[in-house]
Amino acid sequence: MPRIGAFVCWCGTNIAGTVDIEQVVQAVSEMSGIVYVKDYQYMCSEVGQNLVKTAIKEWQLERVIIASCSPRMHENTFRKAAKAAGLNPYLVEVANIREHCSWVHKNKEEATKKAIALIRAAVAKASLNTELIAKEIDVENRALVIGGGIAGIQTALDIAEAGYQVDVIEKSPSIGGKMAQIDKTFPTLDCSACILTPKMVDVASHPNINLYTYSEIESVNGFVGNFEVTIKQKARSVNLEKCTGCGICTEKCPSRKSKSEFDEGLRTRGAIYTPFPQAVPNVPVIDREHCLKFNTGKCGICEKLCPAGAIEFGQEDVLVTKKYGAVVVATGFDIIDLDKFGEYQYQNHPDVLTSLEFERLTNAAGPTAGKFIRPSNNKRPEKVVFIQCVGSRDVSSRGKSYCSKICCMYTAKQAMLIKDKYPDIEVYVFYIDVRTPGKNFDEFQRRAVEEYGVNYIKGMVGKIFPAGDKLIVHGVDSFTGDTLKIEADMVVLAAAAQAKPDAEVLGRKLAISTDTNNFFTEAHPKLRPVETHSAGIYLAGACQGPKDIPETVAQAGAAAAKVIGLLSKRKLVSNPCVSVVNEDLCNGCLSCLKICPYDAIAAKELATNNHGITSKRIVAKVNEALCQGCGGCTVACRPGAIDLKGFTNKQITAEVDALCH
Amino acid sequence: MDKTTVRMQQIALQTLANGEVDVILGWKKGDEWYDSYPVVINDINETAELIWDAFCVNNLSKYLITELKKNLRIGVFLKGCDSLAFNQLVIDNRIDSERVVIFGLPCPGMIDPQKVKHAGLNKGLLKVERTGDKIVFITKEGVKEYIGRSFDYDKCLNCRCPNPVVSKYMLSDAVTRTDEEQYFPDVTEIEKMPLEARYDYWTKQFSKCIKCYACRNICPLCSCETCVFDNIAAGVSSKADADCEQQFFHIIRAYHVAGRCVDCGECSRVCPVGIPLEKLNRKIIKDINQLYGDYTADTDIAKSPPLGTYKVDDFDPFDGSKQGGKK
Amino acid sequence: MSLKLEEKAISSKQQFEPLIVAFCCNWCSYAGADLAGTSRLNYPANIKIIKVPCSCRVSPNFVLRAFQRGADGVIIAGCHPGDCHYSTGNYFTRRRFTLFANLLEYVGIEREKFKIEWISAAEGNKFATVMNEMLDSINKLGPSRKLRDGRWIRQQ
Repeated sequence: MPRIGAFVCWCGTNIAGTVDIEQVVQAVSEMSGIVYVKDYQYMCSEVGQNLVKTAIKEWQLERVIIASCSPRMHENTFRKAAKAAGLNPYLVEVANIREHCSWVHKNKEEATKKAIALIRAAVAKASLNTELIAKEIDVENRALVIGGGIAGIQTALDIAEAGYQVDVIEKSPSIGGKMAQIDKTFPTLDCSACILTPKMVDVASHPNINLYTYSEIESVNGFVGNFEVTIKQKARSVNLEKCTGCGICTEKCPSRKSKSEFDEGLRTRGAIYTPFPQAVPNVPVIDREHCLKFNTGKCGICEKLCPAGAIEFGQEDVLVTKKYGAVVVATGFDIIDLDKFGEYQYQNHPDVLTSLEFERLTNAAGPTAGKFIRPSNNKRPEKVVFIQCVGSRDVSSRGKSYCSKICCMYTAKQAMLIKDKYPDIEVYVFYIDVRTPGKNFDEFQRRAVEEYGVNYIKGMVGKIFPAGDKLIVHGVDSFTGDTLKIEADMVVLAAAAQAKPDAEVLGRKLAISTDTNNFFTEAHPKLRPVETHSAGIYLAGACQGPKDIPETVAQAGAAAAKVIGLLSKRKLVSNPCVSVVNEDLCNGCLSCLKICPYDAIAAKELATNNHGITSKRIVAKVNEALCQGCGGCTVACRPGAIDLKGFTNKQITAEVDALCH
Repeated sequence: MDKTTVRMQQIALQTLANGEVDVILGWKKGDEWYDSYPVVINDINETAELIWDAFCVNNLSKYLITELKKNLRIGVFLKGCDSLAFNQLVIDNRIDSERVVIFGLPCPGMIDPQKVKHAGLNKGLLKVERTGDKIVFITKEGVKEYIGRSFDYDKCLNCRCPNPVVSKYMLSDAVTRTDEEQYFPDVTEIEKMPLEARYDYWTKQFSKCIKCYACRNICPLCSCETCVFDNIAAGVSSKADADCEQQFFHIIRAYHVAGRCVDCGECSRVCPVGIPLEKLNRKIIKDINQLYGDYTADTDIAKSPPLGTYKVDDFDPFDGSKQGGKK
Repeated sequence: MSLKLEEKAISSKQQFEPLIVAFCCNWCSYAGADLAGTSRLNYPANIKIIKVPCSCRVSPNFVLRAFQRGADGVIIAGCHPGDCHYSTGNYFTRRRFTLFANLLEYVGIEREKFKIEWISAAEGNKFATVMNEMLDSINKLGPSRKLRDGRWIRQQ
């Protein structure tokens, strides 16, 4: 039995008014293991703390019981005091005789009895306490940002500016993401490229940033401070160092069948191509599926023409493994496929566009050089109909139940831009609700209506019929109940934003969760919006849910701040109250692994010797850096092989027994 | 000889001879008509002794845990219920299915020797043969034939899985059972009892317990390296003959197989004092099915066990204001 | 109520001083109990709290142990589903103890004796109400030796 000292606090009259301190001291001094009892008016005061420190030394106390206010209040205070006196801080137990006793009971006799019972439980637990030592983990001070859109760009720049190394992985050949495709941005109507491309250049030229374009995450191992990530650099077939970006190869490539991803398929590109003129890096890539050289063995024109000798048909995918202290996921979003929305004729009619296609169509660097024309006949449209909520706020199986958040604003923007350039074009917007919360957002949308005369119609479109060179839009104005038929020349669909199709796969690699819509889940919807449940992995931008650019940039900055905070610590201190496995008892059923919210448990193979036969056995292994100490695993474990330090099965049982004394 | 037994011996011989497996787990016939006991054989000469009859009630899947530790490839004969346990053991990581070759045995039901004795049919009985629901009792005096399931173990009458759900070689045609399945009538019967009567019923049942742990030992899923009740350090083991200890053991035993129990009924079959343990297990199975959707464990090893997963909108009996989930 | 009955009721109440063991999760319900304290809300001294990091730390073993050692009621209090500090702990608590509570009732233990409650750090009021109600219902049930270890004598 360890030598236990108990310190009973009066808390002025807060405790002493309802609890008979003298009686408590008497009862406690008779408990087994108790060698010293002291009461004092304010134990948390400096004098009080000194009483504790002195007694620890003078009485060689091995455990300390503080009977006082809630441990949520002063447990840390007394742990620090114990530590200062040379006692492991986790050998201190607090009996809450204020909030849980003197303040809620009026009868002094009852309260006194209860205070004694609570102290008895604390003594019982404390005698089973063990020294716990918080471990220190090294932090690799480099960050990884997955995704090179505006979210990833901003995060990387912020981290790099703070002086840390950042690697950015981008799946496509260039960074820039969706924002690079957009023409103008709401609510200020400044040109997207004008504000984005300088940042892209900054990323490329920043000494602390290392770009991996045309690359993907192959696997992720490790934990906070020590992630080990394998990156697959897909074969670009063009040497990044040698290429000067002169563009001869892309010009002369005889294959012209592929649709430009960047231009949303509105124009074609060569098999060797740079996605867009401002691409970073400005180095083309060979699309091997469409390249004549790769398909027929003949051609190789690019190789012959390249003045730098940068074409390398023989390139292969390369795997690179690097260590990171923190990871930011900034993989962005997509818009939904519209093949289930046959009524809008998107699949059948070239003049029915998605909003993103519309962005390319009106972009000065787009396929029409900014000339606003109908793709079907290259004539300027006279009537344009916008339809909002295509697949958003749609509870049917073809749509998404959530609001895509950005469509009301970009539709207003697009409508306004048409009217601004071509006041004679009639513009209609069908909507369910117009949602414009955000700074200067509502004013912006009202301008579209009031200044520019965009016709907003509350109602949905039932069907679109192509008739001659017109699109007859059948809709209902739900205010008047009138059925409308609008002879439009162009229809623009605000297709719902959705999570990237491979979000779940990436989530599994990173051990972070996705919600029912496959957006990544934040650790707390209000208080930890950029963290994930996995320590050291953060979220930025629309991969967490639909977001506009200002929000994305704000979240990117927040994620960067979290990363900087983490990397600035050379060592991380882990919570010592973590689960621990008794390998002898463990069956390796891994029930614990299945319920661990932090993926802190892994399978470990043990070689066992059984009468001379060596066989392998699986046991669970806790990663102390990841374990947060909830203890759920301990209950899932039938043989009791896994226990939680600081709240062991024996400690809790002892508390139960003591309370039932 | 019984057709399935012939097939059994052939396949055992074949797989041992061609090296597909190193040992075979099967049954041999003992001295008595009701005695078919588990054996491990590795000698092709012994394959002729393997037997399949209406008394091969022992589930061989649990034996795999020990045998597989010898790094062998094992051929094992599994009935429907046995195969469910096999899958659950795979889910529990207790066996490496890669090294197991399963010979599936569709099972019409096993015969309860007690029922035969009660019917007075055991006198001079030499052998019992069963084909489907036709049971032939062979004595020195002659042969008696019965049709029906009146000699089946009670647990077999409730069988939900006569055919193996996993096997490499199926040794006979599937058994079809068209009996209308009743929904946990035994559990409902107890649930309908008044609370005090229920307490008395179970206390009486538990008080019979002699803590022999046969129920645990036979249970294919009670397969812990060291059972919590054998671990002094865990602080839950007590062999004391006190009501509360029996209650503790039986409640926790049932809870430990919650979501894993395949309802094979072996616990009750082997209980020497006749505690209807399966009624505890089946209560939990019934609740799981009702609350979290049909959980047929064991048929889909990719599925998360009910206590290893959750749904955000699970039924919440602790919150009057929101009650979701499947009812 | 006649005078005699009242006396009887009082005397039996004096004899029966129930003990309720409350397992409270550190982040919500323990803090809720603290708030009940800071708000000076009254609840009976029969309730004694054990702090656990999360409701999912509570094992059925502890519940049965408490009953064995003389507790008349056991309550597990945790964060509301969806609010778990460890994000999913209480979802497992909910499944485990939905089944376990049913099992206890099935072997004849009154529902009133074993409860789960979701009490947030802001619900000091709910904490006090729940505890008062629980004690009331246990008082109504009266003394019972179900699940009790006869060898263990509780000093009152």
